[in-house]
Amino acid sequence: MAKYYDVDDILAEEEFVPSVFQHAANEVGIFDTSDDTNKVEVGSRVELPFWLVRELYLRQLISIRVPPYFDRGSRTREEIGADAAHVDLRSQCAYFYELGCKVAPLIGDKTIGPLLLVAFRTRYKEVLIKAHTLTLAVAPKHLTLLTKEEAKLYEAGQSSIAAFKKWRMGGPRFQAAPVLGRKRKPT
Amino acid sequence: MAGPSELQASAFSAAELEFLAEDETIEIVPNMRMDPLNFISGDFGPFRPQIATEVPLWLAVALKKRGKCTIRPPEWMSVEKLTQVLEAERDSEKFQPLPFHYVEISRLLFDHAREDIPDIYMVRSLIEDIKDVRFHKIGTGLEIISKERTYALRLKNLSAMEANIVRPFITRALETFSKLSSSEMIQESDHVPNRQPQAMNRGPRRQLKDR
Repeated sequence: MAKYYDVDDILAEEEFVPSVFQHAANEVGIFDTSDDTNKVEVGSRVELPFWLVRELYLRQLISIRVPPYFDRGSRTREEIGADAAHVDLRSQCAYFYELGCKVAPLIGDKTIGPLLLVAFRTRYKEVLIKAHTLTLAVAPKHLTLLTKEEAKLYEAGQSSIAAFKKWRMGGPRFQAAPVLGRKRKPT
Repeated sequence: MAGPSELQASAFSAAELEFLAEDETIEIVPNMRMDPLNFISGDFGPFRPQIATEVPLWLAVALKKRGKCTIRPPEWMSVEKLTQVLEAERDSEKFQPLPFHYVEISRLLFDHAREDIPDIYMVRSLIEDIKDVRFHKIGTGLEIISKERTYALRLKNLSAMEANIVRPFITRALETFSKLSSSEMIQESDHVPNRQPQAMNRGPRRQLKDR
């Protein structure tokens, strides 16, 4: 709970994770809208947010099916293997890394860790180059591929460069406080 | 630090660094007579016409604005010195030793004491070039992080401004890397080649273009 106040950590837990009910459950038809019996059958496949999945999984009420982008042999995974830099991870899952870090220990899938690391390594380089060279006008196209984590990294690099350039250009060195702008009334 | 830096990710804003740089001393040649000034940071003066004395940069700039002195540009700010530094900077992998606040000092002097600097256009473009070469080095150097496990970077002779610009980016990147390569995320070594053995918890320190 070290990141209790981290809003991104909270939002990352909102991501949906496909899971299968191991027990029938009454009064939770909201999860499974296919009929109006207001109950979930054994073995029905449901997408639940991660925070709920974790609790239910620890109580052994559901089993987790790995999200498609982490799944072995999935398309995203192959794309990351081929060229991670140009995979549109944002549309897959905006909290790709955070969710991966949470899911992997829970289900004990040892292939997710290396996958995340490889993906971030390749994409880091791309972000590094773009953050320090691109002007703001060109950026948006590339930004749409980035996950939250990467976008923040990009922003960090970009904003410090921009701040430096602004300082270099000069402009008004001292700015008068608005209070001082008022003229004394001529007597 | 209170002030404008809170809006940005970096620890200092450029203006704050400039403020810090103003504490560096510089030689001036006053054209007025004044008793020594006793500051917390030390005593400066006495001021006698045509007798050079060392003062903080902010005082030099203030006196210069009032036309009470001429500023002697620091030794490293000569065309020969800078040409040497630029060549060395291009040839070697290392960062050349320059004053910690060279970006800020040169900017202040260019703004307030342009007539005191000989060959100002040459000096100015040399400093620009040096700065660009060094930034390029930082950029290429940062790619190293992604290749191996990195826990710390050592950047010798990096100046205040340069460090400040890359700080938010580097800290964030290192944080993410350490999170993703932590032992609980990566347990078996068979998927990642060239990985360090698990016993070595603190990996080797990457050196950024400094050997």
